[in-house]
Amino acid sequence: MTTAGVQSSPPVAGRQPARPALIVLRLPWLYLVSRRVPAALGLIAGLGVLLWASLRWHWNVAGGPAAQDFIPLAIEAGAAAVVAVTTYGPFGEPERAAGRWLPYLRLGAALALTAAAFGALAAAAAAGATGAAAGGLAGGTLALLRNLAGIVGTGLLTAAAAGGAFGWVGPFAYLLVTEVALTGTTTTPWVWPAHPAHDRGAAICASLVYAAGVAVITVRGARNSGRGPSPE
Amino acid sequence: MTAVTAAPARPRAPRAASAVPLATARLLRIELRRNAMPWILPLIAALFWFDSYRPSTGQPPLYLLRTFWNMGQGHTIIDFGPFVAGVAAWMGSRDGRRRTRDLVTAAPRARYAAQLATWAATAIWAVGAYLVFVGVLFAVYAHQGVAGEPPWWWVAVGATAVAAFSAAGFAVGALFASRFAAPLAAFGGFFAMVESSQTGFRDTGGWALILPTNSNGNFQPDSGIFYRYLPDLPIARLMFLAGIAVAALGLLGLPAWAGGPRLRRAAAVVTVAGVAATGTAVGLASTARLGPHGIVIPALHDAASDQPIRYTPVCGRAAGVPVCLNPAYQRYLADVTAALAPALREVSGLPGAPVRVSQVGALYESSSGVGSQAMTIAGHPPVLSLPLGAAVVTLPGPDGHRGQRGAAQAFDQSLVLLFAHAFAGAGNGAGTPAQQAVQAALMQGMGVPIADQPAVLSLGPSSWAPATNATSGPVYGAARRLTALGPAARRAWLTAHLTTLRSGQLTLGQLP
Repeated sequence: MTTAGVQSSPPVAGRQPARPALIVLRLPWLYLVSRRVPAALGLIAGLGVLLWASLRWHWNVAGGPAAQDFIPLAIEAGAAAVVAVTTYGPFGEPERAAGRWLPYLRLGAALALTAAAFGALAAAAAAGATGAAAGGLAGGTLALLRNLAGIVGTGLLTAAAAGGAFGWVGPFAYLLVTEVALTGTTTTPWVWPAHPAHDRGAAICASLVYAAGVAVITVRGARNSGRGPSPE
Repeated sequence: MTAVTAAPARPRAPRAASAVPLATARLLRIELRRNAMPWILPLIAALFWFDSYRPSTGQPPLYLLRTFWNMGQGHTIIDFGPFVAGVAAWMGSRDGRRRTRDLVTAAPRARYAAQLATWAATAIWAVGAYLVFVGVLFAVYAHQGVAGEPPWWWVAVGATAVAAFSAAGFAVGALFASRFAAPLAAFGGFFAMVESSQTGFRDTGGWALILPTNSNGNFQPDSGIFYRYLPDLPIARLMFLAGIAVAALGLLGLPAWAGGPRLRRAAAVVTVAGVAATGTAVGLASTARLGPHGIVIPALHDAASDQPIRYTPVCGRAAGVPVCLNPAYQRYLADVTAALAPALREVSGLPGAPVRVSQVGALYESSSGVGSQAMTIAGHPPVLSLPLGAAVVTLPGPDGHRGQRGAAQAFDQSLVLLFAHAFAGAGNGAGTPAQQAVQAALMQGMGVPIADQPAVLSLGPSSWAPATNATSGPVYGAARRLTALGPAARRAWLTAHLTTLRSGQLTLGQLP
């Protein structure tokens, strides 16, 4: 008995070979479905509608200009939480062992979802600003990009530390810290939402947090319950 | 064998009955051990320290002021609620996520009962942690010598709010089992609290008083010091939040997989009862009115709550005049006597000069915790009533969230302003031009130069603030003329004209 002739499966009668483009897309598609990215996109769209409504009808928290930006910030944190939770993978160790392309898929998904969240919220902000007697987003799209990216970074870092299912904790904890800072007089650039859109230090801090989050989630992925204690 | 068969059979029913609570206790114990809530508690503790404790330390050491931010404006609830809702949703979605719903449904115990055990364990962790954290907070305050009474009713409201968040989050997770249930529940909790704050800051009456972050009418300027925290509004809020919790838990029993028809009917009744409690609480809050000591809800009001808190005043002397304060303000006695001494010295011997200074409880007006009533001089012999708790008095010491030391000078100047205003008989408003001129001259004599007075006036109620910072108008011109008379002539003029001045009949032209 030899192994000759069993190195490749015999062709199955009647099955058409898949086209190369479909083969290339199949793995990312399966990855996105396993991370519930379609549902996440739907939720992000819903948050965009909420942002539009808040701008259209002037939902504000009383206080200074920074405090009045708190509802958009809460919505941005919600979008960041959704992005962070998509890092949760149901397959655990087998996927890590077999998934050669996994880091690239994680990187692509994180970047694409951040871009989708930014696009949805920016479009909602633009639409909310054009209504009759409507107010725009404080700081414009530049501040939106900075705030969203930074808060997504906190979510990705939390997912890496506590598990993808608990990635939402980071953005909301950061939001609460920001809320306290907005009521006082903060100077640290690490509370970037409290700074003007063109503040260089705040932009650098937000970028660093986002870059760190994307890097960690790309290389290590979200923590899963098989790697030590976690709340999952 | 005969002996065995002759022995009376043991009744089974009591054993079965006792086994049910035992099994429930075991189930609860397992759920407590397997719960995700403890994992989030260190984070909540850190946020609680950062958001609820740290800003409060910048306030003067009175429970009323220390807890206005974290209890009155509901920040302890904001710190807990969204995270508790998120974790509760995660626990509620457990069967759905693990696809064990059918397995659990086939177990002897109704799935609804098992879910309630899971929720109870989640709520026990969350509410227990809330009570522990608040207990530590108050213990630290007590160690720091914070005076007054803690707002216990608001602690009960906070604990019930945490339970309501856990129930609502759990229901979200159980009914929509998904990885996104937890972040959505947390976001919903956050958004609800943000909207509650928005409405709470804006609406000073009506149904919006039921919102747990609405501070309007919650904390009077001297609650827990001169008078009690009125329990009317907290009781309505307890009903509101408990109703939400009960309704959310009732919803869990409505789907077909929850249990049998009888159990589902019972769950429907529970849901309706929860909704009814919530609606009743909102209706009660709509009948609320602002009383001198806080929000009064006629259907819930107990007249015993209106009884003042008895105390033995602590006294000192300023320019020979006894100054008596509530013991909660004892640490400010030296500051008060030092600030009032030049004022009392300036008016000593004049008609209506107070022979005693007595602190009175500051009262509330319908904006967020602001008490802006002035000092008054009344009685025979005249007694100066000093509302130290009013917002127009800037207590010396730390200043709110800004972490800056409040200027002792602002405290001294605000007391001088309030004293001179009361002595001139100007009442609650800015006073007549003549009264304003005499007030300015008195303040100059008390050590506040006329050039500084427009800024000092801004420390008082908003209606006293001058339109401009200029000191060149006719009022200040008359004040300068009065000051230029010299002490003896000025005292003689004041002795002759103070009664007319206080009646408001003296015109600016009648001043020297």
